[in-house]
Amino acid sequence: MSNAIPASDPAPQIPTFLELCAGWHKAAENIEKFNRLLTTDAKIAQTPKELIWTLNKAKLYRYIPVVPEEERKRVPLLMVFAIMNRPHVLDLRPGHSYAEYMLRHGYDLYLLDWGAPGPEDKNLTFDDYTLEYLPRVVRKLKHVSGADEFSLLGWCLGALISTMYSALRPDDGLKNLILLTAPLDFSDKTAGGFTRWTSNPAFNPDIIAEKFGNIPPEMIDSGAKMLKPIENYFGSYTMLWDNIEHPGTVEAWHAMNTWVRDIIPMAGATYRQLINDLYKENRLIEGTMQLRGELIDLKRLRANVLNVIADADHITPPCQSEGIMDLIGSEDKEIFRVRGGHIGIMAGRGAEKNTWPHIESWLAARSD
Amino acid sequence: MTQTNGNFNPFDPTGMLKGMRDANMDAWAKMMVDMVNTDAYAESTGAMLDAWLTASGPFRKVMEDSMAKTLEQLNLPSRDDVTRIAERLTNIEMRLDDLDAKLDEALRPAHGGEN
Repeated sequence: MSNAIPASDPAPQIPTFLELCAGWHKAAENIEKFNRLLTTDAKIAQTPKELIWTLNKAKLYRYIPVVPEEERKRVPLLMVFAIMNRPHVLDLRPGHSYAEYMLRHGYDLYLLDWGAPGPEDKNLTFDDYTLEYLPRVVRKLKHVSGADEFSLLGWCLGALISTMYSALRPDDGLKNLILLTAPLDFSDKTAGGFTRWTSNPAFNPDIIAEKFGNIPPEMIDSGAKMLKPIENYFGSYTMLWDNIEHPGTVEAWHAMNTWVRDIIPMAGATYRQLINDLYKENRLIEGTMQLRGELIDLKRLRANVLNVIADADHITPPCQSEGIMDLIGSEDKEIFRVRGGHIGIMAGRGAEKNTWPHIESWLAARSD
Repeated sequence: MTQTNGNFNPFDPTGMLKGMRDANMDAWAKMMVDMVNTDAYAESTGAMLDAWLTASGPFRKVMEDSMAKTLEQLNLPSRDDVTRIAERLTNIEMRLDDLDAKLDEALRPAHGGEN
């Protein structure tokens, strides 16, 4: 026989029967664990908080402070997340929670949860979120905290609502505005998949909203996942399988997957407005956006602004967040660029070492 | 549960697939991202969605109408009825919130005076 194994290639070890059984047993255990992780929910959003206000589906929570009152920052912080996801990503899991981090640093911390719109909410628009809900939330926050000034942290569409509110109600006491991956400027119609898809004449948001009422969460979710289909539909799961025996990675994945799976619909009228007025017509930047007949003049936004931009954001490409800085009236404004994606910059492994400390130190300098 | 070398591992049911995956995943990912970012994809997705919604519209309407009639004959509230009640509840909540705001405002000087 001439097909001898080369000297540099050691002969494969033949496992014993017991090793074979143990290996297959381990594989079976891992498959079971994998399946459990895919189909169950991790415990997320566990930082203690109390409900202090509700309106329709919206809820305002105050996190229980962990720092004595005399050591707390004077200016409370309100966090406003997007309207088509749960806000739990801000408090993902104990030991890796932005809410927990800010509480430890002495902030009086509030969270606005918009809730899941029902069929009766299909006519809700940005007008309602910005000028009906948010001012009421701010009033309650100021009453509970006893502070005249407050800081606002908006993420994704929460940042869009926060920006519009800040420009329309500049005298409500807003001192600091933190924008995270804010979709504001849609002038580049080739930037990112969402802009390309929605600005195409074949895409008709009116008919979608008319037929569905509220936009089904599965449609929003699949749209977001199709921006990076291989990573989202395969990569995430293969990564989990590769690391199934690493408890830290598994725990982080499970918590994130729990948040990702908890999808909610988007009010149909808001969706229409988002696509037609913003993605297609770029009205906020063009200076023609009106809410309840009030023209949004970004020059009226005078709060201190920290604009956090993710350099690898495929949902809100950096160019959609950058353009606003020259248009707002704030004197104290800063762009902070972070390596990472739309969610990763706040919930990824590096957030605790990079994004959170920068936001905290910027805010601390402006919260007393 | 990963292979540590290029040999076939009989304990890892995904071992062979993993080798193929690692070799091709990045290329696939890049190709798919490029594909979904084309105008052709945007146009075809929009057209397909539009066609599906238009085609399914009449069936949906028949279903909704027949469901509404059935509920009416059974003396049960329809979705529209429940929606209208929910809208009224939200309006009442807003009125209550307005009252709450006025109450807070009215109590503020008294509270301040106590201190």
